[in-house]
Amino acid sequence: MSDCRNLGDCADSRIERLYEYLDGALSQQDLVDIKQHLDACPACAEEYDLERVIRSVVKRSCTEVAPDTLKADILGRINHLRTVNH
Amino acid sequence: MTGTRTETIERSDFQLSTSPQHDRATARGERGRVDFSSMNTTAPVGSNPAEDAELDVSMESDVDRKARFERDAMQYVDQLYSAAMRMARNPSDAEDLVQEAYTKAFSAFHQYKPGTNLKAWLYRILTNTYINLYRKRQREPLQSHSDTIEDWQLAKAAEHTSSGLRSAEVEALDHLPDSDVKSALQSIPEDFRLAVYFSDVEGFAYKEIAEIMNTPIGTVMSRLHRGRKLLRDSLSEYAHERGLGAARGSGTSTSTGNGNTAPAKTAAASTTKEQETTK
Repeated sequence: MSDCRNLGDCADSRIERLYEYLDGALSQQDLVDIKQHLDACPACAEEYDLERVIRSVVKRSCTEVAPDTLKADILGRINHLRTVNH
Repeated sequence: MTGTRTETIERSDFQLSTSPQHDRATARGERGRVDFSSMNTTAPVGSNPAEDAELDVSMESDVDRKARFERDAMQYVDQLYSAAMRMARNPSDAEDLVQEAYTKAFSAFHQYKPGTNLKAWLYRILTNTYINLYRKRQREPLQSHSDTIEDWQLAKAAEHTSSGLRSAEVEALDHLPDSDVKSALQSIPEDFRLAVYFSDVEGFAYKEIAEIMNTPIGTVMSRLHRGRKLLRDSLSEYAHERGLGAARGSGTSTSTGNGNTAPAKTAAASTTKEQETTK
């Protein structure tokens, strides 16, 4: 089960499988197979760790808080729309 | 690809399912085109979808509709603003973009089908607004080939616990400042960047991203795949510049590298390649 070819025939298809694994886009059986492989293969496990960390830093870094005035501005425009239309 | 064909895909945010354009699209079997009224994503995200699903929108008063909009849609302002910052690149334009998107969303709210994924619906309007308002270049035509991944089962990846010791590279990336991560993301081509953003930050499924970006699922997967590789290379460069660990790009990775050591060039090449393949 530690043969990397279980994930794919070439490097490209292997990393694609890891993407899909992380994306939650695989069948239950595929998930089990990949998890077993990751448990047995340090090289692929490291790739997996790296991809997981990238996702977490992207999520962490890109979470912004809108300026306080934005909500009020939106509601103002919506109210104006209603006044114009009705 | 004819000029006439291109004109018919002029992006329309709020197309009704009864419109002639929609019928034509359906007849051609164009799955890439999903209009909002039929958008039916798998995970309803509303405050009370069960109740909303039974709502008869046609009987709703303007006052009730506005109250429902404020209750259900306004909670996503921060999230849409975050996404708009990845599109418009500066706070002022991002604010304008979100305001414009919300105004459109409100005007079209009677076409939103209660009980379906409101957040994805709003993101699609935001994305279309961005493309129409800010992005000059012509949107590439839709593909006509059908998707083959429709019936994929969706399952969460089991939390994998690795050996425990993290590599220097993983540590380095984990400690990059937010500004570096944003710059790295900004450095990859726009379509790739947005696909990665929708997936990683918002957790949208491929199918939802396909609807938001108005592309076939295969295109979404291809954008994600290439975008992630480019992002990884760019992040590794930032880590390397900061002297954080022995960062490496995917070019020197152990088991799944692809020999890619020139992120900028690859980015341009990838974009060209994708445009070619979608014609």
